[in-house]
Amino acid sequence: MVIGPNGSGKTSLIQALLRLRALAGLPLGTAPSNPSGRMGGSAEIAWALAPPFDHLKAVMSCVSETQCDFLQIIRTAGQGTLSAEEWNGLRMRLRSIRAFSFDHHAIAQTADRESHERLSSDGGNLAAVVAGWREQSPPAFAELNHAVCRILPEYDSVEILPVGAAQVQLGLRLAEEQVVLAAEHLSQGTLYVLALLALAHDPNPPAVVCVEEIDRGIHPRLLREVRDALYQLVYPDTGSAAKRTAGQIIATTHSPYLLDLFRDHPEEVVIAEKKGSVAAFSRLSDRTDLAEIMADGALGDLWYSGVLGGVPEAS
Amino acid sequence: MKLAILSESPADEAAIERLVTGVLGERIQRVRPPLRARGWPNVAQVLPAIIRHLHFNTDATGLVVVVDSDDSVVHAADHERPSYFHPRCRMCQLRAVFRQTTKKLPPAHGRKRLLSGIGIAVPAMEGWYLCGRDPDVTEAAWIDGQSDPTRPYTRRELKKRVYGTERPSLQHETACAMREVDRQMRDLRRLEYDFPGFGFLAMDLRSWKAPAVNNS
Repeated sequence: MVIGPNGSGKTSLIQALLRLRALAGLPLGTAPSNPSGRMGGSAEIAWALAPPFDHLKAVMSCVSETQCDFLQIIRTAGQGTLSAEEWNGLRMRLRSIRAFSFDHHAIAQTADRESHERLSSDGGNLAAVVAGWREQSPPAFAELNHAVCRILPEYDSVEILPVGAAQVQLGLRLAEEQVVLAAEHLSQGTLYVLALLALAHDPNPPAVVCVEEIDRGIHPRLLREVRDALYQLVYPDTGSAAKRTAGQIIATTHSPYLLDLFRDHPEEVVIAEKKGSVAAFSRLSDRTDLAEIMADGALGDLWYSGVLGGVPEAS
Repeated sequence: MKLAILSESPADEAAIERLVTGVLGERIQRVRPPLRARGWPNVAQVLPAIIRHLHFNTDATGLVVVVDSDDSVVHAADHERPSYFHPRCRMCQLRAVFRQTTKKLPPAHGRKRLLSGIGIAVPAMEGWYLCGRDPDVTEAAWIDGQSDPTRPYTRRELKKRVYGTERPSLQHETACAMREVDRQMRDLRRLEYDFPGFGFLAMDLRSWKAPAVNNS
């Protein structure tokens, strides 16, 4: 969970990950397009990798402050060169990195039935993705349906509404009236919850899921459910019947209420701060005085107070 | 002098900074980023963490805390007795938090402890802003009104009197607060007399000027 004031580099972090994904699509070892123009010193971004690739690191080097165009995979443990098998496995994971900034207008729209492979960054093809699960991954659809109806008990069913022959739209059936509300009639917050739950129950989840403003439009009392659902992506052995590869979530928020939910896991909280023109990221658990500080109040309150950093300088 | 201010809004902070400067008679430097609390009781909850943070992670000389009394018990002269503590008085509560938090802290950044300045605005900061402009608005009037079903004024009425609206923008609120504080800056004795909640803060601040006694 990345917290910090506006302009502190949270979005830039996500953009850097998307750059890593893009560069992973190029043949590895491609010579720099302009070796003489390459920036020296700190102008590179190094990524530590999770198992089973934790003996490798990915290094992006940059031609300018805003553009990195060269990816190297460096072995940090063991010897030998990177095998084609290793690279293919890693590349598949890096290429599956996804970033989402959901748009309730897009989610509510009808979607081409065929566009069901991957959820788009704004959630615009959510209906097609969920319809695809109903056909091809019934357990995933059933889990999504169950989660939606449990978290939003006024509904008892996720519905796929055909729109002509080639398009579909999402709907939710009201539990009492047994009337289906099409997505365009659902609230913004309900649509955001639907999209987040769809991410959480993806049968083939990305290696890294980035979500901006993950609390947007969602009532504070529902944030626990949202957090728990997304934890299933990271810890698939708990709470989900489906066998899935563990992924990673990088989410941003400005909600103290959501941050409160990470009190027991300060290692999952990253504080972004802008120092001059440089964005600095620090893990909350790295603070040596954390135990004393956390003894006195809710984590969200402590963040809001300014004690933890990650607050606007001028307000 | 470097200090931190903890209050409930940026408008209050700006006004408090000006008042503190007036009492201390010297320019002050604020700890950045500014501290903020989400109202009472959050102030009391986060205060220990803030004190420890300022003590160990900054070179601030002191921390000024100002909160509204709202409908709590107003700090009175009899609360000043040694060892007295009124559980519903916010001044007593904040002082207790300061005492308990600072007594076990080892020296840091060349000072023995972080100095404290605590003010209670009765019933809200708008009371202070109206001092000298509206003779009916005083801490004593508010206390008298607590035993009277027809209170002399409400907090909403105070807002209306200061800002001309019950829903001021932050910008307007800050401008009005600064205007009213500037009006009083030539002589703060009236504010200290009419609002002892400010008087106690002023006494704390003046005690800071004798560091050999208070911070050694």
